[in-house]
Amino acid sequence: MRNLMSSRYLPPLGTAAIILIITPFILNSPFWLDNSVMVAIFALMALSAGMAYGQAGILSIAPAAFASIGAFATGIVTTRYGLSPLIGLVLALLLPMVLAYPMARAISRLSPMPLSIATLLLSLVLELAIREGGGFTGGYIGLSGIPTLWFAPTIHAMHVLSWLSVVAVLVLYVNVTDSALGRAVKTARHDPLRATADGVNVPAILASYFSLSAAVAGLAGWLYAHQLTYMGPDSLTMHVSIKVLLMAVIGGASTFLGPIVGAAFLTLITLYLPAAETQGMIFGAVLILVLLVAPNGLLGTNWKRMFAGGAGRARTRAASEPVPKPHEELA
Amino acid sequence: MFELGEFLIRGALLGVTYGLLAFPVSLLFVTTGSVDVALGAYAVLAAAVMYMTGGTAGALFGVGAAVLASAVVGLISMRLNRPGAVDHVIAVLGTFGLATFLESFILTLFGTNPMVRQPFSTFWDVAGIRISPQVGINITVCVAILVTLLAVLQRTPFGRAMRASAANPLGATLSGIHVRLIWFSTYVLGGLLAGVAGVLILFTTGTDYSAAFTLTIWGFGSAIMFGLGSPLRGFAGGLVIGIVQALSSGYLPGAWATAMPLIFIFVVLSIGRTNLIASTGGRV
Repeated sequence: MRNLMSSRYLPPLGTAAIILIITPFILNSPFWLDNSVMVAIFALMALSAGMAYGQAGILSIAPAAFASIGAFATGIVTTRYGLSPLIGLVLALLLPMVLAYPMARAISRLSPMPLSIATLLLSLVLELAIREGGGFTGGYIGLSGIPTLWFAPTIHAMHVLSWLSVVAVLVLYVNVTDSALGRAVKTARHDPLRATADGVNVPAILASYFSLSAAVAGLAGWLYAHQLTYMGPDSLTMHVSIKVLLMAVIGGASTFLGPIVGAAFLTLITLYLPAAETQGMIFGAVLILVLLVAPNGLLGTNWKRMFAGGAGRARTRAASEPVPKPHEELA
Repeated sequence: MFELGEFLIRGALLGVTYGLLAFPVSLLFVTTGSVDVALGAYAVLAAAVMYMTGGTAGALFGVGAAVLASAVVGLISMRLNRPGAVDHVIAVLGTFGLATFLESFILTLFGTNPMVRQPFSTFWDVAGIRISPQVGINITVCVAILVTLLAVLQRTPFGRAMRASAANPLGATLSGIHVRLIWFSTYVLGGLLAGVAGVLILFTTGTDYSAAFTLTIWGFGSAIMFGLGSPLRGFAGGLVIGIVQALSSGYLPGAWATAMPLIFIFVVLSIGRTNLIASTGGRV
């Protein structure tokens, strides 16, 4: 049990356990199953944002744009050419990577602020390309009649598939983070000069990680397209990217489960908010509040330490510091 | 040839307001190392308030609303970047939050209708090109602000304090300069300039609730064109962006006309030697 609790697989196992507990309660409600699938899809996009920002330090405003590429790729091959959604899946994973890598190579040498604006530019250009894609992308009308997945034809099966995807991505995420690549990315993020001195090709490694996060967003787009069976130019816009970024930041972008918690929180409170026009005010206010109270997000904050008083903080610090052994004191 | 000349002139005239939006981007980056993504939202807020109120009072209320919003962002940023915990990306996220809030606020209060005012019915004829007298007002206001800003930065104690806070915050603090107050003032000054830009845009091309992020991009694109370090270069960048927009509209079909200025900014960001992480000449 102790090994399990300290295992790197705790986040995916915990997610799977929570879904297993919740599923029986929503099994007979198409409404909640539908919302569960949407939470899973947005969780994947938020994980993509968390990988880019939380690990690589790239404040990407483009996760929805990469998801959009994945969604349109599968939508086009299945509706226009009658190909299998599995071919759509391959394209949904590959195309965002192929676009993200050279883009990240070009801009990852920028300081963080110009970098985030560069991802915003990409998002806007992609929106324009989809709108003006004519018959190929469906233009202003969009693509309708995208088939549901033959191996997940019901909402129940889609619920299982989407959460399995989240767990699979989490397994990949924890493994990559704990690998040499993950450690190099963290060093490159915090001290690029040190990483270069260590022999890390910083632009290449950040670009690789960014393209991996783009593939995760592409997977979300693939599920999105086959769940809603429609993709329009307004489906996954820059505003969705901003919302996804809020999800990751509110939950804790540098944690594994934070983006999932943020996605669940924002998707579910949207159900209870008034008119769509006012949602931006709520999201903006929540983001500012979270940044002021807990800048590392709900799961990235040490709440115990935060609520401890001065003495409590001192106690926590003293408890966390190792007691020097006699020979160390002498040294 | 005449056509090309017309596009160049119209573009430069359009770029004047972008140059005005570039001032606060450069100032804020130089002073605090951060970017205020809500700048475009201040401009749209000022335009919306001016549109609803009208008259000189409307302009004052509009600019006042922009200043108030920027003061809120300034306070939030001061709280996020407290001593010993400076993280500019977190501060940028805070400005994203307020930009999202303001966009939704403007949509709820003023609706989706385009906001535009045309105060002049007669036009000037300059070498065969019809130009609105409003453009003359825009140029006068922008040049006046540019000259005042440069004079303040170079000739006044406040400007010296601002430059000192930018160059060496710790040294400035030890010299008795209230660096955090200077940072806050820069945010408010940014709101003031964006508010003026918003009022001018209302009388020039008009705007709507969804233009906030686009205006931020034009302002940011102008500022980075020749390097983020100088408001004067930011103004020149605004003229370039305006010209690229006008040429794209004139010579490119539909979507390309809209996309080209964005692609242009992206290319400048990608291949330019400016805007890199200074200590390492980029991330490497």
